[in-house]
Amino acid sequence: MIWAIPFSSGARYASLMTDDTKSIARGLKHRDPELFDLLIEQYQFRLFRYLLHLTASRERAEDFFQETWVRVLERGAQYDGKWKFEAWLFTIARNLVLDWHRRKKPESLDSLTGPDEDATFDVKDEKSASPLESYLNQEQREDMDASLEKIPAVYREVLVLRFQEEMQLEEIAGVLSTPVSTVKSRLYRGLESLRVVMTGGAA
Amino acid sequence: MNGNLHSRAQLLIAQQRIEGISAEEQTWLSAHVAECESCSALQSQTAQALSAFRSMNIELPKNLAARTQLRVRMRAEKLPTHNPGRLLLWAIAGVSWLLGLASAPLVWRGFEWVGGELGLPKIVWQLGVALWWLVPGVVATGAVLLQKWARAERTE
Repeated sequence: MIWAIPFSSGARYASLMTDDTKSIARGLKHRDPELFDLLIEQYQFRLFRYLLHLTASRERAEDFFQETWVRVLERGAQYDGKWKFEAWLFTIARNLVLDWHRRKKPESLDSLTGPDEDATFDVKDEKSASPLESYLNQEQREDMDASLEKIPAVYREVLVLRFQEEMQLEEIAGVLSTPVSTVKSRLYRGLESLRVVMTGGAA
Repeated sequence: MNGNLHSRAQLLIAQQRIEGISAEEQTWLSAHVAECESCSALQSQTAQALSAFRSMNIELPKNLAARTQLRVRMRAEKLPTHNPGRLLLWAIAGVSWLLGLASAPLVWRGFEWVGGELGLPKIVWQLGVALWWLVPGVVATGAVLLQKWARAERTE
């Protein structure tokens, strides 16, 4: 079986750019293991960050991360290359989170990080530092985590897609399956919330 | 300063980040912010908040990519493989079935005529008709089973 063969360094996709959507679509259709290896490596940080913002839990984000790629494998043939791959990927991830949440309790994305939930943004610094720096970083991080938790998930989500993923408004609308006007409105409110909670500024 | 001007400036500060603003609007905003302390503070707070948000560090779980790659491979092994050969086989079977159905009265008459010419008992040429129908199905089933067996051999 092709999947049992040890993976090479992805020579066939060595020059693959993330906007080479047709190559990605072809590879997904044929469930090309080299391509999957490359995509998982390439998108691991961005997808995990997005899921972390959606779920506010590292464990859940990790589960959904793996589940998303399994879904990509199963439904790869549906990707036609007309969209940016990351938009399609994030749509799958988002739908998985929403499905899980609907099964749990039929509410909106807002309740993903409701006040009853004991979830914190479990983000950590990658670089190691001195004990004092670590302590200060930890404090700063906890402050930021606590701040972000105050922003409703629906706003946090568009903020991530716009300002961390640098997606266009139309692309965000595609991921969320909502009109661009809704995306804009969420972004304006989200940005205002972000400013208020991050800087302690007046609303 | 007019409250409307502040409102416009506040809107443009957000719009600049979300949708982008025109060169004229940019010029107007810069001029306003240079003179207005509160709008200037709002602009720098927005920039500061976005900068902090963008630079958030997230540590990935250990071996996340490797574990995911393994899981994806294992799942791929269980998925039915896309086999164009099998599709062709089904297509041929479908066409053969249609042709068989269309030619059934002719085949019946043909066997009846041959049976009459050779003086065979009715049951013999009728059995011939039955075999005429059964043999292609038996051959196709054999081909599919052979293919499955060959694939199982390759996997082992």
